[in-house]
Amino acid sequence: MKEEIQDNLIQIHDLRISIYSEGSYFDVVKGLSLSVCSNEILCLVGESGCGKSITALSVMGLLPTDVAQVTNGEILFRGQDLLKLSASDMRRLRSDEISMIFQDPITSLDPVFTIGSLLTEIIRVHRNVGSSEAENMAVDALEAAQLPNARQRLKSYPHELSGGMRQRVMIALATALNPAVLIADEPTTALDVTVQAQILERLRERQREQKMGMLLITHDLAVVAEVADRVAVMYAGEIVEEASVQTLFDKPQHPYTQGLLGAIPDITARRGSLHAIPGRVPPPQVPPPGCEFAPRCVHALEECWESRPLLEGSGEGKLRCFNPQPLIT
Amino acid sequence: MLIVLLISSVAVFYAIRLSGGDATAAALPGSATEEFREEFRARIGLDKPIYLQYFAYMGKILKGDPGHSITNNASLVEMLKEHGKNSLVLGGAAFALVFLIGVPLGVLASLRRNSWADHGIMSFSIAGMAIPNFWLALLAIWLFASTFRILPAAGCCSGKQLILPAIVLAFEGIALTVRMTRSAMIENQNNDFVRTLRAGGLSEWRVMGKHVLRNAMIPIISLAGLRIGQIVGYALIVEQIFSWPGIGQALVTAVLRRDYPVAQFFSLVLVVLVVLGNWLADTGYTLANPRLRRSR
Ligand SMILES: Nc1ncnc2c1ncn2[C@@H]1O[C@H](COP(=O)(O)OP(=O)(O)OP(=O)(O)O)[C@@H](O)[C@H]1O
Ligand SMILES: [Mg+2]
Repeated sequence: MKEEIQDNLIQIHDLRISIYSEGSYFDVVKGLSLSVCSNEILCLVGESGCGKSITALSVMGLLPTDVAQVTNGEILFRGQDLLKLSASDMRRLRSDEISMIFQDPITSLDPVFTIGSLLTEIIRVHRNVGSSEAENMAVDALEAAQLPNARQRLKSYPHELSGGMRQRVMIALATALNPAVLIADEPTTALDVTVQAQILERLRERQREQKMGMLLITHDLAVVAEVADRVAVMYAGEIVEEASVQTLFDKPQHPYTQGLLGAIPDITARRGSLHAIPGRVPPPQVPPPGCEFAPRCVHALEECWESRPLLEGSGEGKLRCFNPQPLIT
Repeated sequence: MLIVLLISSVAVFYAIRLSGGDATAAALPGSATEEFREEFRARIGLDKPIYLQYFAYMGKILKGDPGHSITNNASLVEMLKEHGKNSLVLGGAAFALVFLIGVPLGVLASLRRNSWADHGIMSFSIAGMAIPNFWLALLAIWLFASTFRILPAAGCCSGKQLILPAIVLAFEGIALTVRMTRSAMIENQNNDFVRTLRAGGLSEWRVMGKHVLRNAMIPIISLAGLRIGQIVGYALIVEQIFSWPGIGQALVTAVLRRDYPVAQFFSLVLVVLVVLGNWLADTGYTLANPRLRRSR
């Protein structure tokens, strides 16, 4: 029973998100389902614009409501539907239970406050502690994120820190209150290559220390290979394949996944960014009647053009495809 | 800044001297003989070349002795103290109103964007910038003093008498501040850091009222100095209309009477104030924006 509760920190069922843009509505997330368990890293990969960030923001309840709206589905956190929570209940969960780290650490910190005052403000919104106690917690969080001279840094303004240091501050902000879930949306993309590895390493250690369930959005297959426990592959607003990292790299079944991996059998040679697949993502304004990937798929059958495949499979692996291909090696 | 002060003091000096008019005509009775007038000019230094007059004049000012009025022989230092105090009360009240009214209205408009409150505030702000000051003053007097008789039309220096001139003097500044606050708030609401703060679980009230507002205040604080200059300029008209005995009124009276020591000295005071305001604008920008402060 305990296992069961732990296993499902976040469960997204049939999530649909509509965007209002240039006078019309269209779905950018189309019936997405996935779950994040405690003490695991789920990597969400997929081409630019497939809806990864929008999905992450909807979990945080931070969709830009003037353009994007959840139209269907549920997002359960420990069995409780986040979409039904009041604004203030949702606010209480943010950063206390569910945290998020954003892509660009340069613009993601308020420039006119010191990092100490940012950290203590967020801590004190959630915890009934005095200012010196909050300050100690802030120092602990910064040290855990391995920011050098943490205590002196409390008085620094964001512009006085390098990009890597700022992302450590973001990690400290997101993990200061020991959240159960951490969402990281391309946390290293904006950083120097040398710093990327350190930040990622620290994030992974933090996740293991706090036994967090982590949803890591990335473009970088090297990152996936290094840190992921499970991988969900997203295409045009839906999950097309989901599997453990080993299975996915060894036996990718969906033609899209195979395309992403470049169909190279050697896992160590698959470092670097996603392989480019010929063709483009269909514009979300006019979804095809059949499989979203059919227009670009070399294995597409007649039925792929006519009806949509469902996401089928067990907890071990899931697939949305009528004609999965065994990998020819 | 010192150079700006120097240049503007020369400009004021020349402008007053070249503006024509015979000082003796104002100071002496019409029956005075030409010799007597010559002698009077020599006594107060008007016969010397103008640049020597300038140096002599600046020397005296720096020693703290700007001289006396030539119409009623009042000490300029005393006049400055008395009129300066009145002007400070009026200008200070107007300056405070600019921010106490302008900033909250701008914030409100930005948070209720495109609502009737926003449209109302913005129309008010456009009107505030379009209506000339003197016209607004007359309108206010007509409305509140003549028609409703709830406020006195003129005079000094009770709180009630202060209300109308202070509001009129502040009006354009309020209108500008409302606009600037609104656009700066809207601009900063789209910053990435807003999302971070929300993700941290801060309330909208904190995110907007503390963080976004603090960022939006950068341009407003830095332009506060310019508002000083504006208020100083309009004080000339407004003090006149409301018979508020401040520096502006003294200056206008002095110019009309060709009392050039008073005109010159008070012009200089106003110019110094405006230059000081502009200098404060630069300093304010640095103070308001930590990114420009020298890092340790
Ligand atoms: N504010 C917005 N206004 C209009 N359309 C938006 C907005 N935000 C996202 N979209 C649209 O929603 C879709 C999904 O966007 P999202 O940012 O989730 O993609 P992503 O998978 O995170 O891409 P990337 O890898 O480039 O970050 C895109 O087609 C995008 O055009
Ligand atoms: Mg994204």
